[in-house]
Amino acid sequence: MYTYLKKARVALSVFFMIAITAAFIFFVNRESPFFSFFLKLQFVPSLLGVFSGGLLVFVILLALTFLFGRVYCSTLCPVGTYQDVVSRIAYYFKTKKKRRFKFSPVNNIRYIVFGIVVLFVIGGITLPLGLLDPYSNWGRVSNEIISRSEQLMHNGVSFLFPDTVFYRSYAHFTLGSFLFALAFLLLVTLMSAFRGRLYCNTICPVGTLLGLLSRLSLYKPAINRDLCTRCQACVMKCKSQCIDLETQTIDESRCVGCLDCMVACKNGGISYLFSYKKVKPTEIETRTSKVSQERRSALIAIGLLGTAMATKAMNLGPLMKTKPKPSGIMPPCAADSDHFKRNCTACHACIAACPNNIIKPATNEYGLDGVLLPVLSFKNHFCSYECNECALVCPNDALMPLLLEEKQVTAVGKVNFFQDRCIVKTDGTDCGACDEHCPTKAITMVPFGNDGLYIPKVNGSLCIGCGACEYICPAIPQKAMVVQGLPKQVKAKKPSLDKQEKIEVDDFGF
Amino acid sequence: MIIFVKTIMQMERRNFIKTAFLGGIASAVGLKSNDLFGAGKMSVDASNDLVAVMGGEPGQMYQKAIEAMGGISRFVKKGDKIVIKPNIGWDKSPEMAANTNPDLISAIIKDCYLAGASQVTVFDNTCDEWQACYKNSGIEKAVKDAGARMAFAHDQKYFKEVQLPKAVRMKSAKIHEAIIDCDAWINVPVLKNHGGARMTISMKNFMGIVWDRRFMHANDLQQCIADCSTFEKMPVLNIVDAYRIMTQNGPKGKSIEDVQVPKALFMSTDIVAVDAAAVKFFAQFKEMKLEEVSHIGLAESMNIGTSDLSKLKVERIRIG
Repeated sequence: MYTYLKKARVALSVFFMIAITAAFIFFVNRESPFFSFFLKLQFVPSLLGVFSGGLLVFVILLALTFLFGRVYCSTLCPVGTYQDVVSRIAYYFKTKKKRRFKFSPVNNIRYIVFGIVVLFVIGGITLPLGLLDPYSNWGRVSNEIISRSEQLMHNGVSFLFPDTVFYRSYAHFTLGSFLFALAFLLLVTLMSAFRGRLYCNTICPVGTLLGLLSRLSLYKPAINRDLCTRCQACVMKCKSQCIDLETQTIDESRCVGCLDCMVACKNGGISYLFSYKKVKPTEIETRTSKVSQERRSALIAIGLLGTAMATKAMNLGPLMKTKPKPSGIMPPCAADSDHFKRNCTACHACIAACPNNIIKPATNEYGLDGVLLPVLSFKNHFCSYECNECALVCPNDALMPLLLEEKQVTAVGKVNFFQDRCIVKTDGTDCGACDEHCPTKAITMVPFGNDGLYIPKVNGSLCIGCGACEYICPAIPQKAMVVQGLPKQVKAKKPSLDKQEKIEVDDFGF
Repeated sequence: MIIFVKTIMQMERRNFIKTAFLGGIASAVGLKSNDLFGAGKMSVDASNDLVAVMGGEPGQMYQKAIEAMGGISRFVKKGDKIVIKPNIGWDKSPEMAANTNPDLISAIIKDCYLAGASQVTVFDNTCDEWQACYKNSGIEKAVKDAGARMAFAHDQKYFKEVQLPKAVRMKSAKIHEAIIDCDAWINVPVLKNHGGARMTISMKNFMGIVWDRRFMHANDLQQCIADCSTFEKMPVLNIVDAYRIMTQNGPKGKSIEDVQVPKALFMSTDIVAVDAAAVKFFAQFKEMKLEEVSHIGLAESMNIGTSDLSKLKVERIRIG
């Protein structure tokens, strides 16, 4: 039975990894929202989205853990699957002896890392979680490395078929973000090549949390002492290095439920067992103290998780607030910077989805606690009036999907017009590029001087900060139209209809 | 990606088959190729300088106008590679009048193929995101259905530097490779008001064959528009779509309120004349003086054409 279960687990995990990666690839995410759906099944997104609709997924993931332990880590987590793949490839490059995994004693680094992350989350700062969360890291790896490689290949093909395959202009490149993704990928690759699921059991805060919870699981992998010959077959296969044959126990807090040991054991000596059944009297002394201690730590973890969620629910502001700089323009539907920073883990799904390539990873635009978070830049294009893709793909509800009509009246920023830089004034010639591009007619052209010229005039209440005017403004070196971000996105006035009489003419007029 | 390439290739093949099929029907019903290609007994009245049509559907008005201009074969020769340049600047549906009417584009493409064109290409350097513009304007579908090709124009890679020796301000420009490589091109703008250039018609439509429009805005927009028309490879025909026109909030428009539906079309080989005619027509809906649209006057002073319609042979056609 476990052989088939394992095969199903491998198939599912590969499917989820591909689906999640695909959500970051240009062609796939442009054709359908199908793949973005899988982002919402990830643990941290469901946790952060708990108060705005992710509850169902969160409950399902918790239930899964309370039933079978950390199966999330071996099935749904893309980084987990990636590590298994690396570990499998490394297998072929190792000597026979090196291929064998050994039991490794518990290390407590993971609790320190987890504690720090939780403290920050309670304090309203999500960044450390975002930097360590496996899903968000995989998002950044997909976006910065996999998607860029795909783009390079695509453009290679576009040279071969220039008429049928279009060239994709290269978008923003933020070195820091690329290096961070690369460093993560290298770290995880190395760790898994040598030590299997070392990352999951040393650093990953999701792994640590689920590990604590899985101490309470109904079903746990356990060794049948009557059947076990201590042959080491399971230990050598255990990527989590959590099977201790000396005591014939499995550390369920590190076990990811990959089922490899159960398949490896020729005697069927390892299986999932109901963990709340009565223990034989002889075993009580050796077990109870350990078990109760384990359960105690699990309860503490639940307490911490509960506190974190409660503080989130009470909407306590961040303890240390850095004032957002004016240049930090949040993507549409981010509501306000507190909400945005609390919920965004910088997975970069929005960056990958933006058809205009105007979202980039922040460096210092939002301050220190906003590094890598998505920020708008109008250098290459502007925010399309008819588009709310970024909000639709966001799995964390950091960007809350608004109806298109609502998004069209939500201001992410406001434009400042510097008349002294404007071509119409400096050169005394017609321009109107900003007016031409403004979707809400917050910019109109009004008579200027006596030469029949027209100059832009801004109506701030209509401006939604889409950046079209800033993007197209030809004034150099400084643009005459500059959008300034708003720490709290506000409703703009709905553009007027400008009703006009329908005229019927019978003549050509010449 | 491979699949993507394949589907497109298949599409081209399907279109090819369709074209071949249509040709087959034509021969089956006994049309001589001479009739089709306009070189036969059909009287060619090439004496009209400007044709104005009113009251029909886009394709129908095009047919009337092109007949009055002496037929498409006056402009498109057998085997020619033809480019049709509509205005596809904005991510707006056809009803919003921000882009050229797709039915008109479709009719022109079919006519070009009947005249024996070997390839018809359509493109625009759009303002809004290009894929959304191509799709939502309805033009991409019309073009593909008619068997022509949409060219890409969203990256500098597709543009080549060209000298404009007769220009005043813009002495050189990057022009789209399709225009440079074609045998003849047809300019098909839509009639709209424009905040910066006052009006956008045929001459302003050149901004979509040029890569860097910021340069034009920064260096006397009206002069640069006129400079574009000093390009030695001018369109063989300018067809102004005035089926729906945008009379306010142009060139992008806010709502359907900005649109009037006069159902008209103007056609001329003289780009200055056709723009002047279109402005006069537009002035019936919204006050607009010809002098205000100063690129027309500048082009006239550079001997690109004439805005004095009384000097021209103009045919006015009313349908229905």
